Amino acid sequence: MEAAVVDAGSKLLKAGPAIPDQAPSMILPTQMKRMVEDGSMNDSTLYEDITVDPIVRGFIRDWDAMEDLLHHVLYTGLGWEMGNEGQILFTDPLATPKAVREQLVQLMFETFNISGFYASEQAVLSLYAVGRISGCTVDIGHGKIDIAPVIEGAVHHIASRRFEIGGIDLTKLLAEELRKSNPQVNISMCDIEKIKEQFSCCAEDELAYEKTQNHVTEKHILPDGQVITIGRERYTVGEALFQPSILGLEAHGIVEQLVRSISTVSSDNHRQLLENTVLCGGTASMTGFEDRFQKEAGLCSSAVRPALVKPPEYMPENLTMYSAWVGGAILAKVVFPQNQHATKADYDETGPSIVHKKCF
Amino acid sequence: MYGGDEVSAIVIDLGSHTCKAGYAGEDSPKAVFPSVVGSIDQMEVDEPANADKNSGSVESKNNSKSLDSEKIKGRRKLYVGSQALGYRRDNMEVLSPLKDGIVADWDLVDSIWDHAFRECLLIDPKEHPMLLAEPSSNTQQQRERTAELMFEKYKVPALFLAKNAVLTSFASGRATSLVVDSGGGSTTVAPVHDGYVLQKAVASSPIGGEFLTDCLMKSLESKGIMIKPRYSFKRKNRPGEFQTVDVDFPNTTESYKLYSQRVIASDIKECVCEPQILHMMSFGHVLKSAYSNIPMTPYELPDGQTIEIGADRFKVPDILFNPSLAQTIPGMENFAEIAPSVRGLPQMVIESINKCDVDIRRELFSSILLAGGTASMQQLKERLEKDLLEESPQAARVKVLASGNATERRFSVWIGGSILASLGSFQQMWFSKSEYEEHGASYIQRKCP
Repeated sequence: MEAAVVDAGSKLLKAGPAIPDQAPSMILPTQMKRMVEDGSMNDSTLYEDITVDPIVRGFIRDWDAMEDLLHHVLYTGLGWEMGNEGQILFTDPLATPKAVREQLVQLMFETFNISGFYASEQAVLSLYAVGRISGCTVDIGHGKIDIAPVIEGAVHHIASRRFEIGGIDLTKLLAEELRKSNPQVNISMCDIEKIKEQFSCCAEDELAYEKTQNHVTEKHILPDGQVITIGRERYTVGEALFQPSILGLEAHGIVEQLVRSISTVSSDNHRQLLENTVLCGGTASMTGFEDRFQKEAGLCSSAVRPALVKPPEYMPENLTMYSAWVGGAILAKVVFPQNQHATKADYDETGPSIVHKKCF
Repeated sequence: MYGGDEVSAIVIDLGSHTCKAGYAGEDSPKAVFPSVVGSIDQMEVDEPANADKNSGSVESKNNSKSLDSEKIKGRRKLYVGSQALGYRRDNMEVLSPLKDGIVADWDLVDSIWDHAFRECLLIDPKEHPMLLAEPSSNTQQQRERTAELMFEKYKVPALFLAKNAVLTSFASGRATSLVVDSGGGSTTVAPVHDGYVLQKAVASSPIGGEFLTDCLMKSLESKGIMIKPRYSFKRKNRPGEFQTVDVDFPNTTESYKLYSQRVIASDIKECVCEPQILHMMSFGHVLKSAYSNIPMTPYELPDGQTIEIGADRFKVPDILFNPSLAQTIPGMENFAEIAPSVRGLPQMVIESINKCDVDIRRELFSSILLAGGTASMQQLKERLEKDLLEESPQAARVKVLASGNATERRFSVWIGGSILASLGSFQQMWFSKSEYEEHGASYIQRKCP
C-alpha cells in the first residue's frame, strides 16, 4: 500500500497517496463548521455557524478538530481501513516547536494506530519537488510567509525568517478596500476570497503601481446579484507583499527580506542560494507576482542576481500550490522503503520524542 | 528530577553581541539575534519628571521595584530581533543591556528573553528548565537578580547558571583547559580545572569584535570611504545598470546609524580580515614596510560601491595581539587614555597561566581552546600558537585547539550548554523552583558554583 502524504496548511489540506508526479488526490479546506450535537434538528434557526480553524498561521492549534479532520481524510478520503492503517508523512512549517511535533506523533500513533510516521520541513520538500537540495524557499501561504535558506537538505535556521502575514491578511485588506469603494454592498468573507483569487495581480513595479490610480474599473456580479466595481484594489493586494506598510506593518518587502536573510549565511553559499530560489504557496501564484519578484530581485545585488527555479516539465501544472506535498511524495518513496521512519515499535519503546531523533 | 527525554531544556547564551538560544541536545542554536534592543521613547508622560529618566540613565532602573519598572517600561517601546531592528524607525535608539560585560539594564534583558521564548522558539517558559550561560566573572548580585527574574516573571520550573569557560571546555570534551573567549565586547582568558573556573587567574581585556569593527570603520573613513547604512539609499530602475539614490531620513538617531554601519563593517571584517603569520622582528620597524606590499581584496558594499581593502586586512586583527597598534589608526587616538594597561592576547594567556598552580600549568599550555565570534577568523589559531611558542617557557608544549568549523567556534559556549543540559547525570543538579521558594535567591551560589 502506498504511504500517505498530508500537507496541512492554514487554508487547504492536501493529502493523497505518495505518487510524486501527480497532483494530490484530496485538496480540501481546513476550515470546519462545528455542528451542535442535538437529537432534534428541526429548528435550524438554533444553529450557530461556528467555524473552527484547526490550523492557525501554519501551526496546529485545535487538536480535537484536527483529529476529526484527519479521520475524514484518512478513512473516507484515502480509503484506509480501521485496523490496517499504513504509513504517513507529514509536513511541518518552519520553526515548529518541539512540543507540537511530539503531540502530532502521539496523536497519530495512539489515536490512529498508524504503522509508520515521518515528518519533514516544508522548505526542504518544496526544493525536492523542483529537483534541488540546496536553495532558498519563499513560501507564501495563507497564514504565514516562510523564507528559508536550505543547504544540502538542511534548513539554516539561524538565517530563516517567518512572518505572520499571508493570504488571510491580504483578504482582509481587500475587504476593507472594497468596502471603501463600494459602501452600499455587503460582501461575505468567502466571496472576497474568491474575488481575490480571481482578480488580484501585481503591478510591474512601484512606478506602475502609482499609475494605477486612474485604472479602469471593472464591474463584477456577486453570486447574490449585487454588483461591485473593482479598480485599483486588485493591485493594492499584490503590492502589499512588496510594501508591507500598506498592511500597516513595519517591515521590509519580501525581496528585501530574502536578500537580508541570505546575506546572513556565510558567503560561500550565497551564489548557490540566490540562483536557486523557489517560490511556492498559494499566494505566489498571483498574476504578475513572479515577474515583479524577479524585477525587484535584480535590483538588489549586482554580482549575483536571484534566479527563480522553473519546475521540471514532468511535474503537474500549478506546482506552486502544492510543491510541499509533491516533495513529500518524493521523500516518502525514499524514506519508507529504507525504514528510516519512526515505526510503532520505536514509538512504544521511546515515546513521542522519537520524532526528534528519527525525523529531521 | 527532570527526565532528559520528555522535557527539553532550553539553553540561552546572552553575549555582548549576539544572543543564542535553542533546545538542549541540538547541535546549534535555533535563534540567533543581536543582543541590542531598539527603543523608542513614548512621550505621553504624566509626570514630566520621569521623562528624563528614560533617555539613558541606568542606575535608577537597577534599583527600582517592579511597580516603577512597569511604569517606566510602558513609556518606551522596545524592538528586539534582527527583523525588528533591520527596519528603520524614527527616533529609535539602539541600546545594549550589557555594560563592560555585566548587566546594566534588566528591562532590556527581559525583553530579549521574551523575544527568544515567544517569537523565536515559540515555547512556554513554564514548561522548560533553563540553562543560562554567564560570564566567568559574574557577581553574586547579578546571579540573584537573574534567578529572581527567571523564577518570578517566567516561572521556569528549574534553572542553572553555568560559566562560559566551563561550557566551552565541555564542548570540546575536556575538564581542564585554558579558554580564550574572544567575543563581541571583550576577550576573556579563563583557566578551567576539573570543571571549575580558577577565578584568580581570569584575565580580560576590552578588545573584542566590536572594537575591531570600530577600528576598521575609522580606518576606512580616514581613506575617504563612507559606509552607507542600508536604509539610506534606494535602487532605481534603470535597464542594465544601477543607480542608487540617497534617501534621507532626518529623524534617524545616531545610534541607529552607527549600528547599521557596524553591521556592514563587521561583515567586511568577517570576510576579509585575517591575522598575519609573517615573522615580525620588532613592532616599531615593521609597521610601515610589512603593510605596504599587500594585495588588495575587493569587497562590494550593499550600495554597489566596490572598495579595495589592503593593509587593513592584516592590521585590524593584529590589534588583538598588539593593542598599541590601534593608536596608529586616525580617529582612535583616544584609545591610549581609555586603557593604558591593555595587553595583547599572548601576554594575557601567559599572565593567566602564571597565576595558576605550578602543577597544572603544563596541562593548561597543552590545551588552549579558542571560542567566540572573533576567534573564528582564519589563521588565528596558527598565529596564536606561533606567538605563544616564542613567549612560553622552553619545557612547555603549547597546543592551541579550535574546532575547524567556524560556526562551532562561534557557538561553542552554547553547544557546551546543550551538551551539559542533556546529560543524564546533570538532571539532579538543577536549581528548582521549590528550592528557590524555600531558600531564596541566594541559594544559587551554592547550587551553581
